[in-house]
Amino acid sequence: MVLDVTAKNLDEEDPEKQELFKAQKIWFEIGVDLDRDMRYGAWQIKEIIDLTLPPMQTQKEQYLVHFDTDTEEVEVEVKLSYFISGGKGNVIYTTTKQLSFDTD
Amino acid sequence: MKVLVLLFRSICTLGIFLFLCQPLAAKEAQTIDELVAMFDDSKCAECHEQIYKEWKSSWHAKAVVSSLKGMHNFVAIGLAKEWKTELTKTEILKCLDCHAPAVEYASEKLAQEIGNLIVTAHKDKDGEAGKKAKAELAKLNVGCLSCHNLKATAVARGLRGKPEKDVIYGPNGADTDGAHKTMETVDMSRSVFCMQCHGIYKAADGETIQCNTLSGSYQNTYINLGGSKTCQECHMKKGHMFPGGHDLETVAEGLGFDVEITPYQHLPGKVKGVKDTKKWVPSVIITAFVKNKTGHRVPDG
Repeated sequence: MVLDVTAKNLDEEDPEKQELFKAQKIWFEIGVDLDRDMRYGAWQIKEIIDLTLPPMQTQKEQYLVHFDTDTEEVEVEVKLSYFISGGKGNVIYTTTKQLSFDTD
Repeated sequence: MKVLVLLFRSICTLGIFLFLCQPLAAKEAQTIDELVAMFDDSKCAECHEQIYKEWKSSWHAKAVVSSLKGMHNFVAIGLAKEWKTELTKTEILKCLDCHAPAVEYASEKLAQEIGNLIVTAHKDKDGEAGKKAKAELAKLNVGCLSCHNLKATAVARGLRGKPEKDVIYGPNGADTDGAHKTMETVDMSRSVFCMQCHGIYKAADGETIQCNTLSGSYQNTYINLGGSKTCQECHMKKGHMFPGGHDLETVAEGLGFDVEITPYQHLPGKVKGVKDTKKWVPSVIITAFVKNKTGHRVPDG
């Protein structure tokens, strides 16, 4: 499960320069064998290192982001994706907000 | 002479008695079709059409062909290269006891054949042999009788005994007007029933297999924190489709998501690297709250 947070400068026309901020939080587990070497095979995994989101728990991820002093319009997007297997992820929730800053 | 006749009769009687007392396990299938016929799910559809339809679209219905890669790796890498162990029925049951419980009733030769088909189906997935192997393997799955007979009494074997032949076990033991004998087993509505396979699997020889670890966090965290729902309460909301991580609606239902995006102006001169240190700095606080509303860890491996 992945939380992606991005902030884009909407005044910037070049898509490659639009991104002002990017952060990611991943919840996952690591299967290890008895030597604590990471393994993928079900027969090899004897223990896990648990970096998942435990049941009945709310986790807070907080970011303080500063933009440059001439930034006027920013779009913040926060999305939560679930990966059922390998690289195939599905976006479960998205929140987007446009912000305007007075630079005068 | 009389003694000999008496002895002969006794041997015959004993032979007939032993033959009649053979458990289901004594009959071993020699081919996949024979095995499928022994646990023919299509009969169930005659009366339970809707349930059968739901099950058909479930991952239980494709429990072998949807997991070919993992099982191939177990046979081709695990057994062959790491353990240097021959492919036997005992070994392949470490996968198939859960992915296709009927294989318990396959002959040694058939179980090995199934293991080899798994290897072919994955290794040669685009080739003719691979496709043919996959088509054969598609006949094996977690079928109706896997839960409603084969695994029905397994969590309380001492108390319930072995599953009886031709008996359909269910949570309410409903009357079927003679279609089949039914037996009530409350076990099937308990989480521990699902945990037989959806958790750390302990093979007959003691080997632990971790395909997933759901039951661990259910038992040790969810229950420990006061949770009391069963697996079935959430995962049977769509009946025998048993939706889980593959169903986005179910995933969304299990997760809470709340985001607060609060812009503000940061004090001039306090942020390094900006163009004008005398100006207020446009800033934002982004806070995401992600809640796990399920009874197990998210995600699960």
